[in-house]
Amino acid sequence: MKLHPMIAALRRHKAGVVLIALQIALTLAIVCNAVFIIGQRIERVNRPTGLVEDNLMLVTQSWVGAPSGDQPGDVEKLDSLLQADLAALRAMPDVESVVPINSLPLLNSSWTGSVALKPGSDLRAGNARSVYYFGDEHLLKTLGLKLVAGRGFTAADVRNRGFRDSGTPAVIIVTKALADKLYPKGDALGKAIYLDGGSSPSTIIGEVERLQAPSTGSWVNGFLWNATIEPFRLNANFSRYAIRTKPGRLQAVMHAVPDVLYGVSRMRVLDDDSVKSFAQIRQEAYRSDVGMAILMGVVCLILLGVTAAGIVGLTSFWVGQRHRQIGVRRALGARKIDILHYFQMENLLISGAGALIGLGLAIGLNMLLMKHFEMDRLPVLYVLAGIVAVMALGQGAVFAPARRASNVPPVVATRSA
Amino acid sequence: MFAYYFELALRSLKRSRGLTLLMVLAIGFGVAASMTTYSVFRAVSGDPIPWKSSKLFVPQIDMWGPKARDPNGDPPDAMDYTDAMALMRAHRARYQSAMYQISPSVVPANASKHPINVSGHAVFSEFFPMVDVPFKYGAGWTADDDTQRSAVAVISSKLNDKLFGGQNSVGRTLDIEGKDYRVVGVTDHWNPQPRFFDVVNTGGFTDGAEDVFLPFNRAIDVGMPNNGNTNCNEVPKESGFVGLQHSSCVWMAYMVQLDDAAAVQAYREYLDGYARDQQKAGRFGWAPNNRLRDVPAWLDAEHVVPSDTKVSLLVALGLLVVCLVNTAGLLLAKFLRRSSEIGVRRALGAQRSAIYAQFLTEAGIVGLAGGVLGLLLTGVGVASVGWVMPKDIASLARLDVSLLAITLLVAVVATMLAGLYPTFRASRVQPAWQLKSN
Amino acid sequence: MLKMTHLSKVYRTEVVETYALRDFNIDVKEGEFVAVTGPSGSGKTTFLTIAGLLETFTGGQYHLDGIEVSQLDDNARSKIRNEKIGFIFQAFNLIPDLNVFDNVEVPLRYRGMKAPERKERIMGALERVGLASRAKHYPAELSGGQQQRVAIARALAGSPRLLLADEPTGNLDTQMARGVMELLEEIHREGATIVMVTHDPELAARAQRNVHIIDGQVVDLAEDPRFHAHVVEARQGQGRS
Repeated sequence: MKLHPMIAALRRHKAGVVLIALQIALTLAIVCNAVFIIGQRIERVNRPTGLVEDNLMLVTQSWVGAPSGDQPGDVEKLDSLLQADLAALRAMPDVESVVPINSLPLLNSSWTGSVALKPGSDLRAGNARSVYYFGDEHLLKTLGLKLVAGRGFTAADVRNRGFRDSGTPAVIIVTKALADKLYPKGDALGKAIYLDGGSSPSTIIGEVERLQAPSTGSWVNGFLWNATIEPFRLNANFSRYAIRTKPGRLQAVMHAVPDVLYGVSRMRVLDDDSVKSFAQIRQEAYRSDVGMAILMGVVCLILLGVTAAGIVGLTSFWVGQRHRQIGVRRALGARKIDILHYFQMENLLISGAGALIGLGLAIGLNMLLMKHFEMDRLPVLYVLAGIVAVMALGQGAVFAPARRASNVPPVVATRSA
Repeated sequence: MFAYYFELALRSLKRSRGLTLLMVLAIGFGVAASMTTYSVFRAVSGDPIPWKSSKLFVPQIDMWGPKARDPNGDPPDAMDYTDAMALMRAHRARYQSAMYQISPSVVPANASKHPINVSGHAVFSEFFPMVDVPFKYGAGWTADDDTQRSAVAVISSKLNDKLFGGQNSVGRTLDIEGKDYRVVGVTDHWNPQPRFFDVVNTGGFTDGAEDVFLPFNRAIDVGMPNNGNTNCNEVPKESGFVGLQHSSCVWMAYMVQLDDAAAVQAYREYLDGYARDQQKAGRFGWAPNNRLRDVPAWLDAEHVVPSDTKVSLLVALGLLVVCLVNTAGLLLAKFLRRSSEIGVRRALGAQRSAIYAQFLTEAGIVGLAGGVLGLLLTGVGVASVGWVMPKDIASLARLDVSLLAITLLVAVVATMLAGLYPTFRASRVQPAWQLKSN
Repeated sequence: MLKMTHLSKVYRTEVVETYALRDFNIDVKEGEFVAVTGPSGSGKTTFLTIAGLLETFTGGQYHLDGIEVSQLDDNARSKIRNEKIGFIFQAFNLIPDLNVFDNVEVPLRYRGMKAPERKERIMGALERVGLASRAKHYPAELSGGQQQRVAIARALAGSPRLLLADEPTGNLDTQMARGVMELLEEIHREGATIVMVTHDPELAARAQRNVHIIDGQVVDLAEDPRFHAHVVEARQGQGRS
């Protein structure tokens, strides 16, 4: 099939060709970026936190009229309230383990700082930024963290500390990511590091494989996997307890916890948001990501549908317009398949041109999004896949009108226009 | 004549139902996607206090120095206790208030009920007139209450309903964290979004309520801790909440009202003078680097409009453009298919303007139908926006008359724009054309 | 009524200039019935489209009803077409989407006529052509002769002073053609000026005057009885154009 006469024919429908090519180009540009956004969000949502998330829940509560922590003896009073709660929770039959903790991955409440290899450096300098988790010897077991080197905390390692007080632990556990950042040779275990520009050392006694930072905001992206675990029970007028239940008993424990805690003391606040399964925390944290993915998906579907329908509409019009011409071609010996191929080839030409323009637009749109909205660079693979997709879409859409064209009988040629 | 074109357009659209449906669907979906995302964008980018947002300013003081500035060279976006109190004492603005977020527990008088957590702010008396807090009963407290550290409180009507059954509770007492406070005012429904007076601690949009306001000095006295973000440049030297107050950590919001350009200029000079004094005193080792932004500029600088909202709007507008290009193509095909009719009409004396009117009417009707479909779909979209947007933002998007009007207008105008080129082509059809039938 | 002097029409392409009409002169008086004949490609149709203000010309002058039309803009030309000229096309050119009534209504609409007057004129015109009972029918439901009569009714409804017909019977069989011709003659008797392009000598013979066009120029043989024989011979030599 010769392209030259086909291009000449297309010139006669310049405006229609330009519009459909433009539409394909815009579709490609938007779909590539939208699918890329979907891919990124899915990847984000699917990254493991490092926790064993099943049968895990979190309780957040506060004591009414509790000491502020500023008076002598306040911290010890707060600690005894905390210990009483822990004892009651650990005594629940369906509970496997409980840890008092300041936050959890995906929870929007974080404590961040910096760690340094040398003492007394500036708080903001350090060798790496890190998030802090505070908990007792039950932390690893309760969260289901995987220890890859060293040991976990023992009861002897654990101290208590006022929420707003400073204090440096003698021993810490870090994530492998943080350990490798500080000691790229992999010999972090047993080394001493300094927290928040402090002057007293903390020794790394264990490494966990993975533990994600709290918060899903973009500000933690630089140190998302850098976590330091300190053996402290933090004492404030509020507390958080991560609870691992026996398999299948999550709902029962969630239901029973408020009464157990009210049983310890009525002077506390527990509301609708106080008891959450980790699944709920995950859902809330990624709600906007999942939503964005759904929205982009809907937009893509509408786009592809509209564009396919547009191709069907315009091609049908052209087929109708060239009805007689097709009849003449058939009378002159063209086979049905030749007519079909003609329209398929024509579409390939148009969508090819559209895809070429779309390639530029896709990259342009991506650059715009990168500049203003913290997007990453669009991988070439997405664009190539997008081009293949719109070409396939074009071929799919053109098939029905093209087949109708191929069914025009040669006798049409003998009739007057 | 319009009635004639209208009738002709309906006839023509009826004749090619499939094509018409296709165009209406494209416009409907395109407009609905744009309008749904626009409704969210509108909700989050609106001015929360349009009547005086240009008079309300957020001062920033560079108490941390060059190393801690953000990439734009901006100082911290919150205040430390020392500087906030110095600004309060100087009292250079018409109104001013330092404030911090609190989340105390309230113990109901009825002993059989569990204590509840409420959220709110510790503020100064000038806060209420400054941000125009509406009152259902009573009013804010006085400047005397500030200095005397009175145990008074302003509560929301929602909390008033819960605790006092909605009655006028002014003068009644309330147990907050085990201490008695006298209610001096009950706010009327008040939920400004974004929370322009404390963006740093609320993130701008929040589904939390402002249930209680307590005098700042009183809250500090009783050691009521802050419930928002605390950002430190160095580890506090002392422990506890008192240690936080003595530290350079930032954890407070600050707002001033300045009524005219002269007042703004004077306040800028005051801030620079203050920073220079601190420099002389050796507390700041750097030249003044203050900021003073009005509310719109402040909301912009804090990026309160989530980037997802903007990206969604951008992508949805792109979708609308594609739908319009699609419609332009289909209208072109549809109009040119009727070249013979146009030729005959022209021969029979139709002026170009008559052809324009006829075909633009047709495009307009497609737009109107698309707009009506778009309205329905926008309704569905806004109702289900909670599925795809964070709760605090989704709850702000709502369907109102202006959104409905914009939806219809956008659909009709955009479709007529899309129909402009096809109509132009139609109007160029020569009247002579059809005569040459041989 | 219709007067062209030294009129020319040139079609230009990148490579050639083609004269469709060259030093073309014709004068049709008010109330005349003129038949225009000529071989295929002689410029008959070009003459008619220019006469009907469907196309512009290159040089010379054209006075229609005393107005020199070459300087008129598109809107003024539309107005003249609408008010003074009636068209009858070989291919009828009815609008398929509109029924008989609505088709006849088209020129009246563009004249901005009020509905009652429109209705009166449409029904009057349809009665003239004997199709009043078919007002609600669509063109596709009518025979060729009926369609052409609708087209004539459409031309008549606006009471044009000048009726231009392009092979009005070209697509009709003999019987139908005769009916249409009788209608035209009747209209002519009532005072309309008619210019009809045809290659049918029998039809041409029924006109008051014959104008023959060859190579874009007029050969006026109105009073020459030999002309008819000449045309018949020419036709037999060429077949249908």
